[in-house]
Amino acid sequence: MIDTIYIEEEIANHPRTLAILKRFPEATKISCQRYGEVFNSKSQNFRLQKKQPALILARKHKGLVLPSPKEYAIGAEHNYYFSHMLNCLYDCRYCFLQGKFQSAHYVLFVNYEDFIEEMQLILNQHDEEAVHFFSGYDCDSLALEPVTDFTNDFFPFFEKNTRALLEIRTKSTQIRSLLKRSPIKNCVVAFSFTPDKIARALENKAPDINKRLQAILDLQKAGWQIGLRFDPLIYTKDYAKEYSELFNEIFSKIDPDLTHSISLGGFRLPKDYFRKLEKLYPDEKLFASPQAEEKNNIGYPAEIRHEMLDFCENIITQHVPAEKFFPCHESV
Amino acid sequence: MIHLFCALPCEAEPLIQHFKLSDIKEFDLFRIYQSKDKEISLTTTGIGKLNMAAAVSYQHACLKTSAGDIWLNIGVAGHANIPLGEARLVNKITDEHDNASWYPQIIFNSPCASTNLITLDNPSTEYQDALFDMEASAFYQLAIRLGTAELIHCLKIISDNTEQNTATVNADKVKKMIAAKIQTIEKLIGCLKPLSAEIHSITAEPKHYQHFIEKWHFTKSESLQLSRLLRQWSLCLPDVDIMPLVAENKSGKTVLNTLRESINNSEFAIHD
Ligand code: SF4
Repeated sequence: MIDTIYIEEEIANHPRTLAILKRFPEATKISCQRYGEVFNSKSQNFRLQKKQPALILARKHKGLVLPSPKEYAIGAEHNYYFSHMLNCLYDCRYCFLQGKFQSAHYVLFVNYEDFIEEMQLILNQHDEEAVHFFSGYDCDSLALEPVTDFTNDFFPFFEKNTRALLEIRTKSTQIRSLLKRSPIKNCVVAFSFTPDKIARALENKAPDINKRLQAILDLQKAGWQIGLRFDPLIYTKDYAKEYSELFNEIFSKIDPDLTHSISLGGFRLPKDYFRKLEKLYPDEKLFASPQAEEKNNIGYPAEIRHEMLDFCENIITQHVPAEKFFPCHESV
Repeated sequence: MIHLFCALPCEAEPLIQHFKLSDIKEFDLFRIYQSKDKEISLTTTGIGKLNMAAAVSYQHACLKTSAGDIWLNIGVAGHANIPLGEARLVNKITDEHDNASWYPQIIFNSPCASTNLITLDNPSTEYQDALFDMEASAFYQLAIRLGTAELIHCLKIISDNTEQNTATVNADKVKKMIAAKIQTIEKLIGCLKPLSAEIHSITAEPKHYQHFIEKWHFTKSESLQLSRLLRQWSLCLPDVDIMPLVAENKSGKTVLNTLRESINNSEFAIHD
């Protein structure tokens, strides 16, 4: 799966680096000073690299845990995100990472201990208050779990600090490490969904809807809290029918009591990301969707956006109480 | 197009013969050879970074290069312990002068193993656990400004090592070593061609673009909009003939409005 591993000299002897390298004895190992030398180099082509991404093992020095925008909150006043990884195993055509990064290689920051230390500092700043930490902003949190062992290292912090909540955003079915342990009450495993036909068209390499749903059922059965993320909502002429079917399928199967939160938001991207994606995938229908530009973002025209959000909101609120529902009504 | 660069004529000769390249007489600063169909060119650059940098720029100026082109630096190099005659693709280039490094992107199943290379300012017989040459850093640095990183590579054939140093290397031996690795070079080109085709396909002008540009006047930003709208048209209205719809338009602006309106009024489905 991984043929090439770049290793920052600084973390060459980090225990996590050594453990990962042991998993890939056949991979070509290339040392580098800073991961940016490889990852940020100009004239790379994301689309070509996606065919055979390398793994880059690095140390994150600054900005380990950052405040996250209010629109994405799921019930707390204080919200932060962190990215122990950049890029993703899957290849969703709407994914903003394709616009954000020059390279499709996976970067793994192996210094988890520094992320955790930073989280502790942040938690200390918000005395007695709930603080939410979101993982999966610049990656899929679980897709590379067998390699990253992310949950094993981060869960103890959340077990100890019940004021902190961890959201793990994923489309992956790599839940073995979660099922092996007892559930953590302040952890939400949040799965993203689009209707089946849309997922087939746009979510390349990601597990299909049924597999994701099965992962949810397994997790709920084991007592884990689940989040449902319908973000981005994707427009197609039959969106009402397709989203109705998706909601019916999901809500007829899951346990609403173990559903922590549901959020949704329309497809939108910063303008320069959108333009880059359009160039990378000129034959992709998504970029020929009805579109409007607003505040340097490109998304659906307001009329379509509101219509879709209202439609979905109506159905969702029939299944879950309002306090669990978090629509993202930002402009495009 | 495939652009090959060799420092020495003896490195170039087996390639010139194999790919049936002929000298292009009109360019006299560097010798540039080309295949009949103009798909493959080769430049002999001379030794050293300055020569290589000048040759890459010259070739770019003389032949029309594009983002989908393949750029290869092929030649011999020393290494401490890799056996003579073996080929290596380069996965890291370090310029000894300032310690800057570049990382050629090997995103295909390479026909040979890969290793790192150090580009020196002067010849050396102090062998290290790295290939060394005198051109690769200049080649790569220049080529990535002109092309797409994944299509730019250096392939080196081991000419000397600690057991048989440079004193044993001569032009005849070099020719034989390169000739013996033609299959590896062919395979490498075979790996890169589909990637090159993909870049060509995504950078190609959309259907009808040239016709529109000739018929109506578009500003630079309008041309970009036109290109985008023509692509959208082919995705949203693939079966509708575009020409009758725009035929009556008097200006580029009204053409864009007509296209936009038709696309907006079409029923949009993301899947079949
Ligand atoms: S799963 Fe998420 S992070 Fe991965 S490609 Fe899809 S949208 Fe991007």
